Amino acid sequence: MSSHPNQERLALFASGDLGRLTRWTVERHLHRCADCRRDVSDFSELRSELSQSLELPELRWSQLGPEMKANIRLGLAAGECVGPRPASHLLLSPRVLAACASLLLLVAASLLLERPMPSVNEARHVQEGAILEASGSGIQVKEGGQALMLLNSRAHDVNVMASGGTMRARYVDADTGNVTINNVYVQ
Amino acid sequence: MFSSRLAGLILAGALALRAQDMPLDPHSSVRINLPDSSPVTLLSTNVGESRASARGGAMVIDLKMQLSLRNSGSQRIRGITLLVLSQEVTPGGKASVAVPSLDVAPDQAFPVRIDLRLLRPLQAGSGPLVEVSLDGVLFEGFQFYGPNRLNSRRSMTIWEMEAERDRKHFKSVLAANGPEGLRREMLESLAFQAARPRIDVRVSRGGRAVASAASPERLAQFAFLKFPDSPVEPVGGWVEVAGNEARGPNIEVLNSSGRPVRYVEIGWIVKDRQGREFMAGSVPAADKDMYLPSGQRGHVLQDTALRFSRNGGEPVAIAGMTGFVSEVEYADGKVWVPNRSSLVNAQLLRLLAPSPEEQRLTDLYRTKGLAAVMAELRKF
Repeated sequence: MSSHPNQERLALFASGDLGRLTRWTVERHLHRCADCRRDVSDFSELRSELSQSLELPELRWSQLGPEMKANIRLGLAAGECVGPRPASHLLLSPRVLAACASLLLLVAASLLLERPMPSVNEARHVQEGAILEASGSGIQVKEGGQALMLLNSRAHDVNVMASGGTMRARYVDADTGNVTINNVYVQ
Repeated sequence: MFSSRLAGLILAGALALRAQDMPLDPHSSVRINLPDSSPVTLLSTNVGESRASARGGAMVIDLKMQLSLRNSGSQRIRGITLLVLSQEVTPGGKASVAVPSLDVAPDQAFPVRIDLRLLRPLQAGSGPLVEVSLDGVLFEGFQFYGPNRLNSRRSMTIWEMEAERDRKHFKSVLAANGPEGLRREMLESLAFQAARPRIDVRVSRGGRAVASAASPERLAQFAFLKFPDSPVEPVGGWVEVAGNEARGPNIEVLNSSGRPVRYVEIGWIVKDRQGREFMAGSVPAADKDMYLPSGQRGHVLQDTALRFSRNGGEPVAIAGMTGFVSEVEYADGKVWVPNRSSLVNAQLLRLLAPSPEEQRLTDLYRTKGLAAVMAELRKF
């Protein structure tokens, strides 16, 4: 492929949605073209950010649990206001048994909800912890939905290297002419 | 009560989606801590182009800082490292920005640029977004100042050693072959840099880099390149490999020098199934208190998982690995780096990134021409 693939094709390549032949031709071009590689990397990064931004806001389960329990208590208190009935009738009535079963279910649900639930971020932490990665824009340490990225926007050529729990990007700042070495660390 | 909270939640979400870009207040966004005894003083901080914007339930903050610092000491500065912390965003993570290959005279000002992007939840705390502090300053003659929390003394010393080595090489080329010889050397270096095969690496501490790997795990042995003047020899090593993922490298080394050693780093070359080789990274000694007496063996190991890919995500299946000793620090703080002839003989120049100084000089040649490079070499 002598000319650059258009942006739509690069975006489809980044998302893995190209056909086999087209994908092969784009791959061949990417071998030779740093600009297009950077575009593909940017598209991949954008997809990742978009998927994170579509996450639902976190629910405060620890607050919802006591609130539901309070509502149950209120319902029980209201039931008592209706007035006492003979004990023999209460125990044998199928309506009362069904009501008791429902109440038990509600109590069980409230206890389950009150139990501290891990947030989305904590769940991810258990799965994979903090990650170091590089993209066309820079290097970042990422944990759950949070990230700290050092950008290399004023760079002509960037050398990226991983060393233990460190990722390093080295480039010459186009404005100052100084070599700048960005590092992100995971502990 | 419940329905009103739910409505509030939905409203907050809607507001978050509607939020627009907004400029950042420089005073509340950044805190810069330089100790009273610091040999550099802060002249100004510019965060003019910084922006914050809401994306869904997250806040994206682009912080573009330009610090103007002054050498308030009495020696020339060769390098500086600044620690960048944003505990609110990444409790377990930190960052640093280093500028090596400097030549800043006393009282002279110099810029350090820090461009960063933070992604954090909307409902975050009220403290400064970023705290910048000094980790170290390296002066001519390898004098050092700073808390050195990031081991910046060793890093900057190694970069300065490499800089001296490469300046000496280019000066000898200039002396032997004249300006045209230096020009050829610059062009050759730029050609190596452009042709150097690149690989993307993703690192996670402990565990796996991905949740599950389809390929079965196996133990892969390292092959080693040995340099005749290296104070430490690699003896053997292995890593767990599954597909494009390598985990827990463990390398045994022997101190063959007559001096005790406290740090070793092994360069790591990965070969894929097509026989292509890539400089994948390095394995540093994990033990902070490493002490390897003369003639003793020790281990260089890391509890990290690395996942390799290229061309925007295409996995690189690992077929083989080669290691070589890339850095050694003696117990007295002096360091060893491979000399240029060792790198040439081992054919490593085609794989390794150039040293920071070589990168700076070749970029100077690219942007300002040969005369600028020759003037720069005359300074040292």
